[in-house]
Amino acid sequence: MKSKAKYVLFFVLPATAMLCVFVIYPVARTFTLSFLNSDGKFVGLQNYTRIFSSRDIIDLKGFSRGFPLGALIHNLLWIVVHLPLTVILGLSLAVLLKNVKGGSLIKSIIFLGMVMPMIVGGVMINFIFDRNLGIVNGVLSIFRISGKSWTAYPDTALFSLIFGSVWLWTGFSVVLYSAGLETIPKDYYEAAQLDGASSWKIFTNITVPLLRPITIVVITMTLLWELKVFDIVYVATMGGPGGASNVLALQMYTYAFRAFDFNRSAAVAVVLTLSTLAVSLSLLKSVKDEQA
Amino acid sequence: MSRWIVLSLMLLAVVMSATTLTVIGPWSGPEMDKFMPVLQEFEKQTGIKIEYKIYRAEDLANLLPAQFAAKKAPGDLIFMWASFIREYGQKGHIMPLTGVVNEANYLPGSLNPVKVGKELYGVAYTGKVKPGFWYRKSFFEKNGLQPPKTWDEFVALLEKIKKIPGIKAPIASGDGVGWPLSDVTEHFLITFGGPELQHDLIAGNIRWDSNIVMNAMNKLTSLLEKKYFGEPTEWTLVLKQWWAGDYALYFMGSWITGMVDDPNDLGVFALPGAKGVVFGADYAFVPKYTQYPEEAKKLITWLSGPQGQAVQVKQGGHIATAVGIDLSIYPPVDREVAKIIQGITALDDLDDSVGGEFQPAFWDQLKLLWVQPNRLNDVIRTLQEKAPKK
Repeated sequence: MKSKAKYVLFFVLPATAMLCVFVIYPVARTFTLSFLNSDGKFVGLQNYTRIFSSRDIIDLKGFSRGFPLGALIHNLLWIVVHLPLTVILGLSLAVLLKNVKGGSLIKSIIFLGMVMPMIVGGVMINFIFDRNLGIVNGVLSIFRISGKSWTAYPDTALFSLIFGSVWLWTGFSVVLYSAGLETIPKDYYEAAQLDGASSWKIFTNITVPLLRPITIVVITMTLLWELKVFDIVYVATMGGPGGASNVLALQMYTYAFRAFDFNRSAAVAVVLTLSTLAVSLSLLKSVKDEQA
Repeated sequence: MSRWIVLSLMLLAVVMSATTLTVIGPWSGPEMDKFMPVLQEFEKQTGIKIEYKIYRAEDLANLLPAQFAAKKAPGDLIFMWASFIREYGQKGHIMPLTGVVNEANYLPGSLNPVKVGKELYGVAYTGKVKPGFWYRKSFFEKNGLQPPKTWDEFVALLEKIKKIPGIKAPIASGDGVGWPLSDVTEHFLITFGGPELQHDLIAGNIRWDSNIVMNAMNKLTSLLEKKYFGEPTEWTLVLKQWWAGDYALYFMGSWITGMVDDPNDLGVFALPGAKGVVFGADYAFVPKYTQYPEEAKKLITWLSGPQGQAVQVKQGGHIATAVGIDLSIYPPVDREVAKIIQGITALDDLDDSVGGEFQPAFWDQLKLLWVQPNRLNDVIRTLQEKAPKK
């Protein structure tokens, strides 16, 4: 028994040590930093008050004046627009391509966006929406609509990034939903067809409910990505113009590496961590419920 | 046989023991090609090997704080923003150069941005002037245009250019990180607020919503509203478009002379009435954690001294901050630039000097102003929030 415990320790210790050094300590340090000022003195919630009262994070006047609305609201907009688009598009494409000849090839092409580094994706989004080089303006010009550099204007910059990133992320949901579709027994579909159910009925009453566990994973992973989105914004617009496409992760970076205010940055980091934790915990709960 | 082995080992030992200094700078491509002869000359004169690594200042701003915290440095001589050098010099991560560098060898005031009190933390290498609006002489000749002498003539020139067929806008707007827009904005501030305004804004002595700033900014926005400036476009791409005739004017620093096919076709004029011009030096420092402090000091004094700068200015596109460099060394086009700045005040770059959170905010707010000039008040409010406070 003693030797077994020794073996357990032998295998657990290295991983635990690494976890402590690379995860637990940095998280704890970030957490404590968020309650200190630059001199290391405890200031309570002052850093949190500062960030939440800053127009960088929440700018409600933007609703009447126009963008920016603040990094936090921009992140919420990412979730509101990007999440349904990628989930619905991913599910639709997976279902449509399921029995199509060459469907796997098309799915592989869609998945290319996911394989591409997000930094490159950001550069490409800039090109896609560019006035002179972009495909968006190329298409608009066919209909004699004059274009513009969509990422250069405050009203369109954020939405350009959101729509532009849909193709980068949809591949993820397509692959997951495609794998999920393979697990649904064919008998269910055959029985429904024998009962005279329409395609829509089959989709809503068989496919969608049976793909629920996959949907939970897709939604959670997409939410996490939307909360921590940074690279695309950094490369394509740097959060501009005038902060119109700024997001929390970029604001955290700006506080840390431009203002060299690591305490305010830590406060944003804690807010981001808690948000992602809440999403992750709800995923775990849903998975547990599914299993039960 | 054994003699050969001993000789080989000795040779290997010599090679291994040779000091190699790492220089980190922002220049790549043609700019790097013009910098390498300077380093090669130092190697030739001293026998100290140099490895050059390219890092943008924006990336160094991410990298260096963590490296310094671990008492490490990625290089022995690093080119970086003056504001960063001051900040980390005071925190004890940068080797003081007081007494190492002779301040009398530099243009008066050129080392001020890297000084805190009497302590000197860096040096000014060569600099670039941001003299005004560049144009192609051939384009102006072809279209019968003349550089303006008054503000009204300037506006009339823009109107005339706007009507030339094929022109997208009279003035090209460089974009990217954001500094090209800040350069032209600073030119307006200096022209209509005077050189003192630039000093005051850097020091935080004056508010952004003061009348003097608003007057200058209103002049700029009056041109933006009339679409005399083109849409912000990546600055190297728009440079090509300007050279190809899509735009007539382009506000850029003197490094433009090294980026066009025929520098002799370049002409430049400042805004009428400008009494100051931004002279943006490249600043360098030696981190406290260098393994070769003596060699690094030797390099930084040589590089920033007349010898090193002379090699650099000879390549074109650079103006020396060191005194005692013969004007005949400069390529002809740089001599033209030198003529423009004669008799007017050389000023520090506003956003580089302030640094910190203000710099990216300044760049970003100007991007907004360029596409929505009617939001000048929003822009000014944000700039005031981010500006240094006295």
